[in-house]
Amino acid sequence: MADAAVAMRGDRYVAYMTLLPSAIILLLLVAVPTVTVVVLSLQEVGLGERGGPFVGLANFASVLTSETFYRALFNSFVWVFGSVSLDMLLGLGIALLLNKTFVGRGVARAIALVPYLIPTVVAVLVWRYMFHDIVGVLNFLLMKVGVIDQPLLWLNSRSMAMLSVILVGAWKFFPFVVLGLLGILQSIPQEQYESARIDGASGWQQFSRITLPNLMPVFLLAAMLRTIWTFHKFDIIYLLTGGGPMDATTTLPVLVYHKAFVDFEIGNAAAIAIITGLILSILLSVYFVLIKRAEDKQ
Amino acid sequence: MASLEIRNITKVFNKHQAVDNISLSVMDGEFVVLLGPSGCGKSTLLRMIAGLEMPTQGDIVIGNRVVTQLQPKDRDIAMVFQNYALYPHLTIYENIAFPLRIRAWKNDKVDEKVRWAANMLEIVDLFERKPREISGGQRQRCALARSLVRDPSVFLLDEPLSNLDAKLRHSSRDQLREFQERVGMTSIYVTHDQTEAMALGDRIVVMDQGRIRQVGTPQEIYERPADTFVATFIGTPPMNLVETASQTIGFRPENFLPRTFFPDGQDLVTLPFRSQRVEYLGDERLFYGATEGPLPATRIVARVPSTLKEHVALKEVTMFAVLRSELSYFDLGSGTALVAAVEPAATMEGGSLHG
Repeated sequence: MADAAVAMRGDRYVAYMTLLPSAIILLLLVAVPTVTVVVLSLQEVGLGERGGPFVGLANFASVLTSETFYRALFNSFVWVFGSVSLDMLLGLGIALLLNKTFVGRGVARAIALVPYLIPTVVAVLVWRYMFHDIVGVLNFLLMKVGVIDQPLLWLNSRSMAMLSVILVGAWKFFPFVVLGLLGILQSIPQEQYESARIDGASGWQQFSRITLPNLMPVFLLAAMLRTIWTFHKFDIIYLLTGGGPMDATTTLPVLVYHKAFVDFEIGNAAAIAIITGLILSILLSVYFVLIKRAEDKQ
Repeated sequence: MASLEIRNITKVFNKHQAVDNISLSVMDGEFVVLLGPSGCGKSTLLRMIAGLEMPTQGDIVIGNRVVTQLQPKDRDIAMVFQNYALYPHLTIYENIAFPLRIRAWKNDKVDEKVRWAANMLEIVDLFERKPREISGGQRQRCALARSLVRDPSVFLLDEPLSNLDAKLRHSSRDQLREFQERVGMTSIYVTHDQTEAMALGDRIVVMDQGRIRQVGTPQEIYERPADTFVATFIGTPPMNLVETASQTIGFRPENFLPRTFFPDGQDLVTLPFRSQRVEYLGDERLFYGATEGPLPATRIVARVPSTLKEHVALKEVTMFAVLRSELSYFDLGSGTALVAAVEPAATMEGGSLHG
């Protein structure tokens, strides 16, 4: 018995020792920054300062009463909703197409992944050229076809800028959705469709009664991941528009950056970051409920 | 219910002849089993009847309608798949109701029909479950119930028992046949399992390489195989085949018994048999060995019931015999059964062949 207890203690020791490195890394990368941000949000801190006077919830109060914050919040929702719904739809459509049998399907599948693989900086630079009012290919083509008769200010007008960043966001990330959905599509047994055909199901009925329910859990999971990533996406927007023109594309992460590194209000920026995190958690809990429900249906 | 006729059906996939000019008539209410090794074309034939594949040539007639060009849904058939093809996101009730929902039936009509089918297969208590929550046997019955609710003319079953374990397969086979007789449905059943085929079929269609080798009742197929393929495909262990100078002679292992077992005065063919190995299977012993002259040495299996206590020494020659009436004769070249056999005594030279 005593030997067993010693052995057990030995096992436990080994277990803790092997867990320790990851625990330390997690602590350093997650816990420390989180606590730091919380501490900063309660202080009045300038750029480059370790800390400052404790101001309680004053930073939160100032954020929650500022018009900029609500505009950024609104922009964030437009950006997330627009970009995610567009790339989910695009991803679903293209996954369905790529699941059909046709000549060159392998090549088409590889090409569909390209946007996901191109580095954001490169992709954004290319898109900025394409969006250019005068030399951009988008305006050139649209005018040639006759859809518009004068150049659109894709990135430089308040009304168009958000649409432009949404387009680029959806374009960049729809391959992720394709990857997830295509995997599921390929795993749906063909017999389910054949049986439905014998029963007289139309193409639409096969899609709505077999394909969609099979896809739903992964579809929602992909939508959740896309929402998280899109919600704190910074690079695409900042590189494309810098949050402008005016603040037309200033989402919460862009606002945090501005507050911290343009206005030097670190405490204020930290407060916005925390609020952003809270909003995201609420969004995620909705998804978790939906995914749980979809999985229960399986 | 309806009769089914297959007229000169051929199916070619990328130059590969999957089904080669097959014709077959199935009577109203008959249970016909398509039996053959994998790749013999039996599933392709079934899928063409279902309309899931188009034949390259030929016609399919259900009842008195030529359905060759019709969509699966217009053929008035139902199909049960090997993996059952149940919808994982729907309850058992909704799975059974699926064909009726597709037809936009009213709820009370759907309910009536679903309950009728589920009662027939005794799965009413599973209504609220999902397919993954029930056993393989229950899934199979659920798939059957789903195929039943539309009152189809012909049932097509593609290896519906092969995903079940051996014990369950036996009881499901029994239930399936009983059910078929009760409903009186015209059924085409595909399997590679000869026991299943023998147990279920009113008639068996033995197929190989896209062609029909024999059509007959289980007894006809077993006792009078049309050729050496059927003779060796049916029966475990298969029929023993011994080639003589002029023909191939076949006999079933269970008919090949120690000479001392037979009373005198029967018309026997006696062969010296050297047993190399024995498998004791409880109810019977299988002796593996070879004939010893006057015929060319041929590997042979003898299946001796354990109730026969005759001693058969291993590695030694024992006289075995088979009733002359139990012999089958096949053409040496083509392997086709010979109806009127050449007198075996004349071909099997040597006195040891006499009883």
